[in-house]
Amino acid sequence: MSLNFSTPLFLFGLLGVSLPVLIHLLTRRQQKQIRFSAVYLLSQSKKRSIRKSRPNRLLLLLARCLAIALFSMALANPIFSFRQSEAFLSTSPSSIVFILDDSYSMGTRAKDKTLFDSALVYISETLKNFSDNSEFSMVLASSPARVEQDWTPDKSTFIGRLEEQVVSYRATHIGDAVGKAIKLLESAKQKNKQIFLLTDMDKNGWKEETFFGVTTPYPIQLLNFSQLQSDSNKGMVKSIKISQEFLTRSRLLRVKAEIKNFSSTVNRMPLSLFLEGKLMKEEFLDIPPRQSLIQEFSYPLRRNQPLNGKIQISDDALPADNSRYFPFHPSQNIQVLVVDGDPEAISHQSESFYLERALNPFSVSLSHIDPTISTLAELSLRNLSDFSVVILANVRELPSGYELELEKFVLNGGALLLGMGDQVDPKYFNERLGNLLPVRLESQYQVKEGALHLLLKNSTHPVMQVFSPKALEEMRRINFYSMYTVQAREDKKFKVGTWFSNQHPAVIESEVGKGIVVMFLSSLDRDWNDFPIQPTYLPWVQRWTQYAARGLDNIPQQDLLVGEPFRKNTLDSRWIVRSPDGNLHKLENEVFNDTFQPGVYRLFSLPSTDTAEPNLLAKLPQGAQPVGTFTVNIDTRESEPGKISQKEIENLLEGMKLEFLEPQIQSTQPNTSEGIPLATPFLLMVAGMLLIEGWMVRKE
Amino acid sequence: MENSTQKFDAKVLSRISTLKMTAMNLVDGLLTGQHRSRHKGSSVEFAEYKDYSPGDEIRHIDWKVAGKTDKYHVKQFEQSTNLKCTVLLDTSGSMGYQSPLNGHSSKMEYASNLVAALSYLLLKQFDAVGLTMFNDQVVEHIPPRSKASHFQHILHGLAHISPQGTTGVADVLAGLAERLPRRSMLILVSDFFTQNQDLQKSLKLLCSRGLEVVLFHVLHPDEIHLPFEGDMVFESLEEDPTLGLDPQDIREEYQKAIQDHINSLKKDCNGLGVDYVFLDTSESLDQALSYYLLKRKSIIKL
Repeated sequence: MSLNFSTPLFLFGLLGVSLPVLIHLLTRRQQKQIRFSAVYLLSQSKKRSIRKSRPNRLLLLLARCLAIALFSMALANPIFSFRQSEAFLSTSPSSIVFILDDSYSMGTRAKDKTLFDSALVYISETLKNFSDNSEFSMVLASSPARVEQDWTPDKSTFIGRLEEQVVSYRATHIGDAVGKAIKLLESAKQKNKQIFLLTDMDKNGWKEETFFGVTTPYPIQLLNFSQLQSDSNKGMVKSIKISQEFLTRSRLLRVKAEIKNFSSTVNRMPLSLFLEGKLMKEEFLDIPPRQSLIQEFSYPLRRNQPLNGKIQISDDALPADNSRYFPFHPSQNIQVLVVDGDPEAISHQSESFYLERALNPFSVSLSHIDPTISTLAELSLRNLSDFSVVILANVRELPSGYELELEKFVLNGGALLLGMGDQVDPKYFNERLGNLLPVRLESQYQVKEGALHLLLKNSTHPVMQVFSPKALEEMRRINFYSMYTVQAREDKKFKVGTWFSNQHPAVIESEVGKGIVVMFLSSLDRDWNDFPIQPTYLPWVQRWTQYAARGLDNIPQQDLLVGEPFRKNTLDSRWIVRSPDGNLHKLENEVFNDTFQPGVYRLFSLPSTDTAEPNLLAKLPQGAQPVGTFTVNIDTRESEPGKISQKEIENLLEGMKLEFLEPQIQSTQPNTSEGIPLATPFLLMVAGMLLIEGWMVRKE
Repeated sequence: MENSTQKFDAKVLSRISTLKMTAMNLVDGLLTGQHRSRHKGSSVEFAEYKDYSPGDEIRHIDWKVAGKTDKYHVKQFEQSTNLKCTVLLDTSGSMGYQSPLNGHSSKMEYASNLVAALSYLLLKQFDAVGLTMFNDQVVEHIPPRSKASHFQHILHGLAHISPQGTTGVADVLAGLAERLPRRSMLILVSDFFTQNQDLQKSLKLLCSRGLEVVLFHVLHPDEIHLPFEGDMVFESLEEDPTLGLDPQDIREEYQKAIQDHINSLKKDCNGLGVDYVFLDTSESLDQALSYYLLKRKSIIKL
């Protein structure tokens, strides 16, 4: 309950109360003392007497004072309200920490604004009631809790900071926030210290373990803003599971979305599937009260490209949990076509024997590489678009016209790996595959056993980064008996990945169009070396295959929760992250922490020539190539409608001084529609007081 | 001694000496005077005949009358004796009231004059006078003597009064009833400001013992009219709690209460055949005494 005055200036009239008091004091008669004989008779007479002068005079004074006080209060236009009074507001200088819950559940709508907006208004209004010497600080209670404003005595600075705040997409972490507020109070200047906790009491933010060791002697005022909530949160998209189904020529994208109904009635809500921002499908769901329903969408994928999508339900009081993003990478496994140029009846003599086992050592694909072995005769049956990598192992000559298909495959982004052998015809390679190969094959170079090794001087190449010094030492001891010498083409650019000890290249790589060509100038089986029977052969082949298929830069964690850091797994290149709001951030370290907005984050590789310094870029630099995406979604535990009870809070914060208040926006100009005007009753009381005064005077 | 005698107004004493207190009934003792004692007995002066009844002395039967009338009659004689009078003076705190408003003498002063005057009068008639001073108990007792010099003892006793303590008339009277000589006179001088309601009972006891009791009720005009103005704090001269009030507020009630008190006392006295004399200290003492003695005389003559 509270009593406010719309024209408080008239309250100065209360000073008029001093007039009757002054008159009373001035006209008070001096008391005389007398020693008297019949005091007991006086006492008896006093008891019997109706007239009691002293109380009468005091009552008269009271009536006059009340009449003046009521009159001035009536002029000040009093308005009485049953709402909570701001009893906690102090006129003495105080140190106040406002813990503001900015979790996304505070984004719940309350009439024309959100609970968070109401909390901001509340703080702004409350600040006016504190004395000028007070100091204020602000802690945001969403995870991770943080001090948003350190102590400041300047109300305008504080309000300015307050106005910058927007509701986040994070979950609540009250325990941590209270801990930070207590630390702040330790450095507070004023003796009178208080914590105001403005929250919607979402149960998710009150985990018991987070309150371990949290205690304070200072009072905590808890303001429950969930009371202001006008509409309910009807439902949320709880989770999404993505799977794909391979058909003969295409694949099906299956999206399983779990939708939860929070209301107590059957909720019929539309459910929409968006892919790359376009509405693809829409269904209507009848979800039983307080239950979840899983809805599956199937969508045919015609292109073998990554997709990003969104599942959305109809709008309700809390919009943040009505949609959920998902990333889709069509193929997790690298499809490799191994063309065996020298197949043998005895399998282990075949060119592809060691290669196949190195690419996929187990029956189940654990290496995420699916090798397909093909002879030259079967090659015409293969569709190159089904593969990411083609390995030509000791191939003499491709079927007529196939070299063009291969060239097209590489130019469109495919990877071509070549292994030498006795079948290789340098003339054919140099002439027919001249557009693809960066070097000319010259001749076979044979050496004595133990005379030729790999020269692994430095292992800065991305493929070689995973090898330990011990493994590299092992690789250096591998015997090579034969190799092809090459000669550079003038019009081609290439890099030598590895050298032989005779200063000839061992591995040459070259970018052709969107694809890559990698040449190993010795055999991929045991004909020219002992490499295939060494333990390092398997990772070496797999790494080169993945490198060629650009699969080294895979994104291990593609679906994150808000606030979870994104970690990249390679150091070889610099990336740019484009967040859902369009801002570009350079990702030079391994971790990207600014994942506080739900949506699709796109990754781009930064060209090595780019030396732009600032971390925040205005636009995407030229040459930046998309390398992947990851999505960030809200933690749905925050959406659960459970609220923590007063008793549970008292148990969690045992021993602390807690006061539970209902938030009330206090305005300096009280709205008469929110209270009962008392001017007329006050004037009536003035009349009553004057009547009583007159009667008493007459009686005297 | 000189100081104590100076306290008493010589004029008053001389005027009182001219008045003679006459007894209502027959005078006891050898000294025959205007005092008549109510007590009948054997004496030289015949009074009347009375029918013989068993227990009467046979020698008092008038045989002549018996011969004439054949009935036994006993002769009765009027007895003239010396009167024994005990004056009981209240010396409690309330008797020490001194008005802050006017120069009227204090009640104690007034009462002392009264007692001295009565003593002088009685001693001049050769009656025995004693003085007992009391508050809630007997403070001092001067036994009755008829010698003229006894007046000095009484004056001496009066000179040493200092009013203090609470009033306990009833208890003191009850205690004295056994000790006072029968058929004597008791003069009680007090303001009777006591909340004890047993006064009537005590007076009844005294009367039953054949004592002639005279009550002098002495009050100051302030105590009757409560003339004070303004906020006052009344401190009790006895042991009542202090009281702060405006007398104007209760004046009416108080005056009624004091009148009730006086009337009640008067009524009790009349009922018991006790003389009640109300004395206002604003009235002169000689006039008051003259009025009383004249009144007594007239009653006896009736």
